[in-house]
Amino acid sequence: MSKLYFNKGQLAEDIWVQVADDAPLQNDTPSIISLSRFKEQAASLAERTGPLGVRIDAGSKQGEDVEEIADRLDQLDLIAIDFPAFRNGRGYSTARILREHLGFSGELRAMGEVLIDQLIFMHRCGFSSYEIDTEQNKSLDSNHFTDAFARFPDAYQPAGDDNRGILWHRGQS
Amino acid sequence: MYRYDEFDHQMVRARVDQFRDQVERRLSGELSEDAFKPLRLMNGVYLQLHAYMLRVAIPYGTLSSRQMRKLASIARDYDRGYGHFTTRQNIQYNWPALERMPDLLEELADVEMHAIQTSGNCIRNVTADHYAGAIADEIEDPRIISEIIRQWSTFHPEFSFLPRKFKIAVTGHANDRAAIRFHDIGIVVRKNAAGEVGYEVHVGGGLGRTPFIAKKIAEFVPAQKLLAYLEAIMRVYNRLGRRDNAYKARIKILVHEIGAEEMQARVETEFARIDGKGNYDLPVGELERIRAYFRDPDFLELPSDSETLSQALAQDPDFAAWFKNNVVAHKKSGYGIVNISLKPIGGIPGDASDRQMDTIADIAQAYSFDEIRVTHEQNLVLPHVKLDDLATVYAGLKEADLATANIGKISDQIACPGLDYCNLANARSIPIAQDISNRFAELQRQNDIGELRIKISGCINACGHHHVGHIGILGVDKKGTEFYQITLGGAPDENAAIGDITGPAFTADKIVDAVENIVDTYLELRHSDERFIDTYRRLGMPPFKERLYQDV
Repeated sequence: MSKLYFNKGQLAEDIWVQVADDAPLQNDTPSIISLSRFKEQAASLAERTGPLGVRIDAGSKQGEDVEEIADRLDQLDLIAIDFPAFRNGRGYSTARILREHLGFSGELRAMGEVLIDQLIFMHRCGFSSYEIDTEQNKSLDSNHFTDAFARFPDAYQPAGDDNRGILWHRGQS
Repeated sequence: MYRYDEFDHQMVRARVDQFRDQVERRLSGELSEDAFKPLRLMNGVYLQLHAYMLRVAIPYGTLSSRQMRKLASIARDYDRGYGHFTTRQNIQYNWPALERMPDLLEELADVEMHAIQTSGNCIRNVTADHYAGAIADEIEDPRIISEIIRQWSTFHPEFSFLPRKFKIAVTGHANDRAAIRFHDIGIVVRKNAAGEVGYEVHVGGGLGRTPFIAKKIAEFVPAQKLLAYLEAIMRVYNRLGRRDNAYKARIKILVHEIGAEEMQARVETEFARIDGKGNYDLPVGELERIRAYFRDPDFLELPSDSETLSQALAQDPDFAAWFKNNVVAHKKSGYGIVNISLKPIGGIPGDASDRQMDTIADIAQAYSFDEIRVTHEQNLVLPHVKLDDLATVYAGLKEADLATANIGKISDQIACPGLDYCNLANARSIPIAQDISNRFAELQRQNDIGELRIKISGCINACGHHHVGHIGILGVDKKGTEFYQITLGGAPDENAAIGDITGPAFTADKIVDAVENIVDTYLELRHSDERFIDTYRRLGMPPFKERLYQDV
């Protein structure tokens, strides 16, 4: 599967590797592991010096609950939310909880089935980077990304970004 | 009425441009139907049995004359000369061509209308009492908070891919005309002892294959806190709602599975977290700005009696019959609320032609402060008509075949599009409604029967609200034959009830006889002026069931 990785407003090289539960973890390589592995090994992983990320599976019956690791978030540089289908929007709430309730400030990545038309919503919920599968859309380039963010520059409601939304803007003026 | 500002216009225009781009990509073959589907659904475009269908939002059922004229011209220019008003106070067009949809949406945008969030698993068009702002004893016009909810829910970044569609209804009156207890969230406007406005919140109601009456989870949420409270409900649902089975994905199933108390506790916890930050209080200035749009129009000070009206009533018995059934008392003396029936005898419930829509727009402009309402019972309302003008209004409506005097009567039925249009349906609904209407055509007989609400759905999804019909009819398919199951005793209002199934279903050629049998049983058993629903509540199913199946 070929993917494009969009981070901090531009296409970028992905330095992170996904590590399976039964695969060894390199000390220095930026590595993303499953939530269950992190929960199991969190104490020993605290010794590790390289960047660490956790993958949240939003697809299992009720989705994995990020609040289970609320008190260990400072160990993580990245959290990746894996969308099993574009129509499964549970990960949007996970993102807002991470940013607004749990104060997570590292990289928040959307992966799995992510559509270009959804990026603006994800951004507003606190995501900061995106993996997009290019199998379906081979002509995808950085312009598509910038267009997707530019099309709806404003919003009605507050969310996880700096935009308080027009309902609040009007009320202040 | 609410009017768009620069920002509202810009949001809708941006959406039209985006959709135009998507349609072009679909027509050129760049997008497959599969890839196009989620995009068109976000714009109210469905693929039906015969063609694409467009559902246009009419927020809380309120229209201006200008908007109604636009709906008429769209029916003429893009469809086959008619539109279909729905149980969610929207309008549907059954025959527009896909390549012309972007132009159609652009025309809607010209009159501050759109098709955003009329489909898909998002927060749908918010509905409200169709007598809002006109009926006496209203706590507050429900459209004020409805408009705020409309804006808050539009392109909500977190809640646009919910487990399932999500419907919110609001009433500002003790008499619930918005069926709020059968919505995902139902809101009742309240005032506390200090005279402040707040909201009672019900959650988890719905129809479909597993009907539930909503549970009250908050007595009084202050006005400024409502959006935070709604965010809390939505977030609990978005996280816990089932996604493994579309039939169990509505919030009613979640509330049923975890229980109302647990739901309430989870909502309260989430609400406390959101509210604790203190930045989710709706600014008072914005609340007041929107409230100002729904101030009373400039009513005249008029006596409560109208000489003109009295004379017309004495001279024209048809007008008198219409007045009795279709006109409701207004909060302001000298005015009346006019119901326009879209249920002509033998007609298709909810359909209106372009010419009829134009007529209604003209009448509303001249006689009803430019306002029209769509009811969830698929009729229209002129909310503010002077009693002095009623005879003139009646004459105008009559000329356009819009003066059927059957509001609340047996021929004023709700029916879903059914197998004639819908690709989910198992059976036809419209022809059954037409047969019943023809059987009970005589107005004298309808008046004798009194208030009786028949609601017909062509499948278990219950778009025709059969569960809450005094008599409900559900079409089912048994080995390729259409059968119709009957329920009795349903009610959508403040005395919410789900109807009871009578017994085995009837074939299409027997269903009207069965309805007549139920009506005859009622007429024999009722106490003087007792309504059908009250007789049923007093006696229950046995006498009806016995008569219905005695020959079987």
